[in-house]
Amino acid sequence: MRLTLAIHPIEELRFGEATRLDGTTLAIDQEELRRLLLADGGLESVDLEVVRPGERCRFGAVFDVVEPRAKEPADGADFPGILGPLRLAGRGTTHVLRGAAVSVIQDGSAFGRVIEMSGAAGEASPYSRLHHLVVVPHPRASLPRRALMRALRVASLKAAVYLAKAALGQEASTYEVYECGGPAESATPGVPRLAYIGQIHSFQMVAEPDEPIFYGSNTIGMAPAALHPNEWLDGAIVSSYFNLGVETYFYQNHPIINELYRWQEEGKVLLTGTVATMAASDNRDRERNSMIAAALAKWNLAADAVVLTKYGGGAPHADMGLTARYCEELGIRTVVQVSDMSTDRSAESALLFNYPEVDAIVNVGRGDTLQWVAPEVERVIAASAGAAASLASLERLTAGSVCGVTGQQGLSRLRSFVY
Amino acid sequence: MRVVHYLNQFFGGLGAEEFAGATPEVREGAVGPGRLLEQLLGEGAKVVKTVVAGDNYAVENLDALAALVVKEVREAGGDLFVAGPCFQAGRYGVAAGAVCAAVQRELGIPAVTGMGLENPGVDLYRRDLYIVDSGGSVAAMREVLSRMAALAHKLLSKQEIGSPAEEGYFAHGLLRDAFVDKTAAERLVEMVYAKATGAPYESELTPTVFPAIPAPPPIADLSRARIAIVTDTGVVPKGNPDKIAPIAATNWGSYDISGVDDLRGEDFEVSHRGYDTRYVTEDPDRAVPVDALREFEKQGVIGKLHDRFVSTSGMVNPLANSRRLGREIAQRLKEEGVDAVVLVSA
Repeated sequence: MRLTLAIHPIEELRFGEATRLDGTTLAIDQEELRRLLLADGGLESVDLEVVRPGERCRFGAVFDVVEPRAKEPADGADFPGILGPLRLAGRGTTHVLRGAAVSVIQDGSAFGRVIEMSGAAGEASPYSRLHHLVVVPHPRASLPRRALMRALRVASLKAAVYLAKAALGQEASTYEVYECGGPAESATPGVPRLAYIGQIHSFQMVAEPDEPIFYGSNTIGMAPAALHPNEWLDGAIVSSYFNLGVETYFYQNHPIINELYRWQEEGKVLLTGTVATMAASDNRDRERNSMIAAALAKWNLAADAVVLTKYGGGAPHADMGLTARYCEELGIRTVVQVSDMSTDRSAESALLFNYPEVDAIVNVGRGDTLQWVAPEVERVIAASAGAAASLASLERLTAGSVCGVTGQQGLSRLRSFVY
Repeated sequence: MRVVHYLNQFFGGLGAEEFAGATPEVREGAVGPGRLLEQLLGEGAKVVKTVVAGDNYAVENLDALAALVVKEVREAGGDLFVAGPCFQAGRYGVAAGAVCAAVQRELGIPAVTGMGLENPGVDLYRRDLYIVDSGGSVAAMREVLSRMAALAHKLLSKQEIGSPAEEGYFAHGLLRDAFVDKTAAERLVEMVYAKATGAPYESELTPTVFPAIPAPPPIADLSRARIAIVTDTGVVPKGNPDKIAPIAATNWGSYDISGVDDLRGEDFEVSHRGYDTRYVTEDPDRAVPVDALREFEKQGVIGKLHDRFVSTSGMVNPLANSRRLGREIAQRLKEEGVDAVVLVSA
């Protein structure tokens, strides 16, 4: 399966008469986009703002960040199962506005992550180097949570696709090709066959009935699925409403999948596929998901070794450990990524599993131990005056509260050391 | 810099095992390895006092020895306290760890010691002290003392202490975050490649090894047994009377359920941030199954449901808390005549 990303670099976003991509400048027709976002009826109004890299600007709380992308119409659907009809993602050509992002704000949030565009905190996040269209939806007051969150989700994806459609029919500046033959391909002797097992949801917080996570499904009742790596990159998966540092932008630009592809290009490894799995909320699902994920990696992907990541905090951590253990039992070598759980910072409390064979661990720390003095900002964007005031008065920012600094998708440069 | 040094009978020049019972002696100036230490600490450093005690005396009288050492260091106006190095000498290591910890705690001045990995003092004191890895061979005395001296200088001038590998001390087992050049994705793929191809790799965390806890013998006759419910789901009476924290709880509560057949949502709340608590809030029996166990009690399946259930929040609790909470709860239930518990986890 072959995915071609047609890359259109963006150096400026601005509002204009008509939505049009002119070289590296994208003009956005605010009124047309607003009409599109209000058409579903969930939003009373929506504010749109353009933010430049390095601007002394802070915005939040971030609901999600999405890279503007649009499929060549004949090659599939945009966010299949959510926006478009169900078509297999990961094939054909997808147009990408590289350097741009649609960032959607929600009013208040349990985790309250922000995007910081300047200062040391900004520099630590790749998001500060992007041109953002910040979408501030104002949902109807009467909406129950389920409909409110759905409105934010649909708005975020619609806006991203709308922007990227301006690139259809235009020659891209570069083309990135993502191709792997999958498990049927035979590896050169000595070249390990690698796969990725990633959790895409945690049932610690039960997904809403119409919460789209995996091809539009909320994943409840779903068994782990073997996916082509390109499906992650091309809109099959979006972040769930409850997430600890997972944004759709880094599914589209998945650091681990990209890194595996890079090693494959160098001829050092063979990428045979991926497994999408879920952290459970009861023991039966936990065993079942862990067991099936490991079995898929073994019998369907014929992997020699896998990289595993979790989604969320404690229970996902334990489930990832169990999945790795089952992999090792089937003869698949494992490496897991943990964000450690040591509330007292003791190394002995950092892991929520204890399997001697699961001994290769990348530890991206806690995210609340490193902090910056919040840079002075000239502009704050939030969903309400109250939220704006509290963002403006922030004195310190922890690494974990700035989007793009920490996370579970492999982008983190944070590491915990044992002293 | 005024330094006080602690040595055992052997390094203090009293003699070998036959002097292991020797009571503490306080000498003016440096003794034995203390002379080399003084030299390695450099200009301005002076070992003003040396305390020497026999190993048996020391481990049998740890508190008295520690009190004496603290008093001597205080009177000497010590800036730095050094013990050993002790190499693999177990009793010496345990004593050195205890006196260093006491000096550090009571006087707030830096204390440094050295031991080999097998020395029991390492496990006892590595978390609180800087223990330089001395290896097992006394022949390395100069090298070990110079690492201890270098570490002491850094501690005295309050410089940042490097990693255990850089400075040569045993890791305290504490985590510290830093930014590194490589992303987690890069580290993951490098490590998985190494593991898959049989090359060496360095994990960023080492799993802790836990001693096994043997299971007690099974209950012979359940119909005569007193059963208690213990839960870490954070179910507490409305108002959370014991103020059990929803994350990293440091306490637990025991709540009366005598005469109650069914827990009602309006009487309880949940203090736990790790799961969707709506269902337990709606019906607390889902986490504290009083209804089901009462049924068993009536049918004679179990002898008696204990009159109190025990609850805490198990959300990301440091092991130090968990161990203490577990011991306290087990102790209390034992005293109350409970034969077995149903453990309900979140």
